[in-house]
Amino acid sequence: MERINRFKFVLWCILGIASAVAITRLIFGLGATTNLTDNTPWGFWIGFDVMGGVALAAGGFVIAAFNYIFGKKKFQPIARAAILTAFLGYLAVVIGLLFDLGLPWNIWHMVIFWNPHSPLFEVGWCVMLYLAVLFLEFMPVILERFPNLNILAKLHHTLNKIRIPLVVLGIMLSTLHQSSLGSLFLTMPYRLHPLWWSPIIPLIFLVSAICLGLMMVIVESMTSSYLYKKEYETHILDKLSKIASFMLLFYMILRFSDIIIRGAAPFLFVSGWGTYLFWFELIVSIFVPLIIFIIPAIRKNTTILYIGAITGVMGIVFNRLNVGGLTHLNNLSGIGTFYFPSWMEISVSLGVVSLAMLLFFYFIENYKVWDNKPIDLDSGHTAVPKFNTNYVYLGTTKVTNRIKFTFAFVFAFGLAFAAISGEKVYGEGFHKTPVTKAKGGDTLVIDGNRDNYGVQFKHKFHSDSLHITCVTCHHLNKPKDKNTQCFECHNDMYLTGDAFRHDWHTSAQGANLDCFKCHKQGNSKGKEYLHNMKSVTDSCTNCHNDLIPANSKTRLLKTYKTVSYSDAMHNLCIGCHDSLIKSDVVLKARKPDLALCSNCHIKSQPYRKDKIIFEGVQKNKWVVLPGRIK
Amino acid sequence: MDSLLEFAKGPLFRFSFAVMILGLIRVFILSLINGFEAKSKAKDKVIPKNFVTKLTLGFILPIRAFRVKPVYSFISILFHIGLLLTPILLFDHALLFDNSIGFSWLNISLSGTIASNLTLFTISAGILLIILRISDKKSRFISRKQDFLWPLLLLVPFITGYVCGNVVISPLTYKTFLTIHILSGDLIFILIPLTKIAHCVLLPISQWITARAWKFVPEAGENIEKILGKEGQKL
Amino acid sequence: MKAILTDVTKCIGCSECVSACKVINHLPPDKPREWQKNDGLSARNWTSVLNNDKFNVRKQCRHCIEPACVTACPVGALNKSGIGAVVYDSNKCLGCRYCMMACPYGIPRYDWELAVPYIRKCILCYDNLKSGKITQPACTKGCPTGATIYGERNDLLNIARLRIKQEPDKYLDLIYGEKEVGGTNVLYITSKDCSLDFLFYYNNRIEKDVKLLGQPDFNEPYPQLSKFAMNSVPIAFVGMGAVMTGIYWVINRRKKIEKENKGIEDGED
Repeated sequence: MERINRFKFVLWCILGIASAVAITRLIFGLGATTNLTDNTPWGFWIGFDVMGGVALAAGGFVIAAFNYIFGKKKFQPIARAAILTAFLGYLAVVIGLLFDLGLPWNIWHMVIFWNPHSPLFEVGWCVMLYLAVLFLEFMPVILERFPNLNILAKLHHTLNKIRIPLVVLGIMLSTLHQSSLGSLFLTMPYRLHPLWWSPIIPLIFLVSAICLGLMMVIVESMTSSYLYKKEYETHILDKLSKIASFMLLFYMILRFSDIIIRGAAPFLFVSGWGTYLFWFELIVSIFVPLIIFIIPAIRKNTTILYIGAITGVMGIVFNRLNVGGLTHLNNLSGIGTFYFPSWMEISVSLGVVSLAMLLFFYFIENYKVWDNKPIDLDSGHTAVPKFNTNYVYLGTTKVTNRIKFTFAFVFAFGLAFAAISGEKVYGEGFHKTPVTKAKGGDTLVIDGNRDNYGVQFKHKFHSDSLHITCVTCHHLNKPKDKNTQCFECHNDMYLTGDAFRHDWHTSAQGANLDCFKCHKQGNSKGKEYLHNMKSVTDSCTNCHNDLIPANSKTRLLKTYKTVSYSDAMHNLCIGCHDSLIKSDVVLKARKPDLALCSNCHIKSQPYRKDKIIFEGVQKNKWVVLPGRIK
Repeated sequence: MDSLLEFAKGPLFRFSFAVMILGLIRVFILSLINGFEAKSKAKDKVIPKNFVTKLTLGFILPIRAFRVKPVYSFISILFHIGLLLTPILLFDHALLFDNSIGFSWLNISLSGTIASNLTLFTISAGILLIILRISDKKSRFISRKQDFLWPLLLLVPFITGYVCGNVVISPLTYKTFLTIHILSGDLIFILIPLTKIAHCVLLPISQWITARAWKFVPEAGENIEKILGKEGQKL
Repeated sequence: MKAILTDVTKCIGCSECVSACKVINHLPPDKPREWQKNDGLSARNWTSVLNNDKFNVRKQCRHCIEPACVTACPVGALNKSGIGAVVYDSNKCLGCRYCMMACPYGIPRYDWELAVPYIRKCILCYDNLKSGKITQPACTKGCPTGATIYGERNDLLNIARLRIKQEPDKYLDLIYGEKEVGGTNVLYITSKDCSLDFLFYYNNRIEKDVKLLGQPDFNEPYPQLSKFAMNSVPIAFVGMGAVMTGIYWVINRRKKIEKENKGIEDGED
């Protein structure tokens, strides 16, 4: 049983990574963990977990239909495993959805607040009901274990009786929501790439889900046979791949005729992100499995059959990813941000999948999912363990697994926890806009964010005609500096900056100061240090007595944090200009609009000389005007 | 050196902290499961509850031990108090938690003087404990190699921490000591759930486990005879 | 139904509307985040002024007459109110963000940085108007030049037509929002030199000049697009059930007959 244990070990590692990310997601929100933006509100979690997961679980209803409705008893040996896969698949969908929803604790709202016009409402209800149906379909397997309990036996009997209606209901619900997942995208005709958006996208989704379901049953059956060293159910696989090849052929014809009839054929041959994705998807999802499945000689080889099935599965899941976020407008036309899932999104999805797989193995090992249960892990374990100095005996296989798997979980959790915390989580996704030195001589051009538009500031005019001194604006000088410029302390356009270099003061190469040189102990035990630091902390002026020039606008240093560049400039200029209007009668009459934004922000006056480049860039470009700070 | 220091303070610290917390929980739960399994296999399912409770309390509050071995017990308690209080409650450590994990206890932290005195006590108590362990014949006999190593390793961050906080040295040596201090601390965090130091969570159930685990499986003797191929032979 | 008319030629880009909006809705200061669009709207900025050298355009929720977001929301957290505003009920929301996907103007924004996030967008000062605190939205009240005004939709349409008629050289002969996506409650009139097509999120689509079969007109309301699929849901449900039951019945019966025949044959032998 080496294979299955090694595989489970990997699954537990993934689960550990996913748990660490999931906790971060719940505490810090979506922005800290995902790459989703206002341009791409749906991404990997919807594409893979929800749409891919639902489609992957389609094997349940397809096999149930063949087995119970069409009376093909050939599929009996794999029917229970297929239904179990579907049940766990839908469970994974719901768990994955909980991470994607902004307010997951409100997921039950769909039960009481109704909006029957919404496709998503219909999908939600169908998934809920189908999950219940699948649970009832699978219940007998669990109830078999307790034949002696009267109530459970009765329940078992009833469930067996209503099996056919349940299967029919399951097929009805599946048809609906498999196609309605496509209907979700009907209302966004231009957001999706034209090769994917189509008025018949519900039908395309349904057909591809049936293909995927069949291939997934092949993959699931072969994988578990391989892991448990069971013989492949060759005749069933052969039959399944034959049906799958017909469905894939139909899917291919549907897809191409849809594209050609709609007139989207030219997009097949232009170069671009969308076209590349389309051809890659088509090769992986249709061509490779179709060629393998359709030729009997090739599909007899189990290895090649497996490769074909798993390629097809990945291909159609890739189709859901494309529809769900990768081929949206912002990825195609270069407006806004380019979306690609972050490693945290991918790891949570994989973690949910591994959880479902582990549950699947649990049911296979402990319940009668197959005709013959796999060999018990501990059977034949009566022999005395051989003594070997290089080998630590941990116990029976069950105990060994317990020790190894939990260790893998803890170790992987730690690794992910170490990798997560960073600027993205704690910085809440700020992007920095560093500012530069204002350019020019006497006439300064204040252009903080370097977009070649600056506000002109006439130094001499301000100092001579208005009789204001240097220290009105240069309110603080760094040690051993005479006129420290604005950008040195206000070093980001929009973010709060740091005028005080704490690390330099404490580092051994710098000032090499002890904490308590400035943070006086006294009654200070941490709390004050954070919340009321003025009372226990020395001001900068205690050591640097030349920091603030006399008669300066800023008299006291309350904190070493600085406001952003734009805030500082606006406060300084607008404050002065406002007070000038109020106090000066002449100015009030001559320039009533002295404090208006447009007075300084004259957009038509770029300072760059090379106008040609500038106009080329600026043509048809809409920029956001800054609002006034209130 | 700076980047190593940052790495040790940031990702490595978070890794070792998560491994420690989850690892301790894991060890605790695994021990519980093992205990229950041992009982389900055993023939004699009775455990002396009162005796186990008494022993456990005796381990947690070693009042009786004072009468038997007063010096050893006193040093041991001093060592344990220093070991727990200093690393957790020191102000700088609370700041480290605040910066890298996101929660802290800045308002109940210890200031520098008390902490450095406690550190000195801990270091001397630790050294004394190792000497006592070596000098006593019985405890030397039951100790393995690593049982001498763990207390020594525990002392490394204390010594380096004391040097960093109190001894005037050049900047380069300060950084070296600080790096060793943090790296050894991380190493200890990772090792806690994997070594005997895990007794910090296992102590309350260790006596219970012993009482449950030391039961023979029914017909164990016969099985052993069968496997060894000595059935029916006289002992 | 109430509406807002914005005259692009009159706007001087002073951003007073942005400030007024922030004040009345108690919105905290905004900072550039990784997940924001480049049009100035964000969870903390429900309206913004865009500038292209000559003209200033105010961007906000269009309050469509047949809103795509209202149809999309599975729990009905978004609603069309009596005065025409599209309002949001945060108590119902479950955070699926389908409204953000469905909006043809790309307006709704999300609190990406919060652990308890909500959808954020202009609600036409609905709660304040309803309680009688104010008689018109803060943005139109704050406008110093009368570039953006508030009133009955029909009146505003008449005003817009009148202005275009009076100065045909200056104005583009088109009222944005009169018929677009079935009509919106935020109308724009603009100068001849300044097209406002860019406000439509899908204006950047890659199939620029071709209209593919099945793609809707710009004047078609978006909820209509999924109407056919949603209407055929009951039919598909019942039909599928009937077909499956029928197949089961036929196959079962055939099997039974086969068995009986076999039994008779066996008996004869």
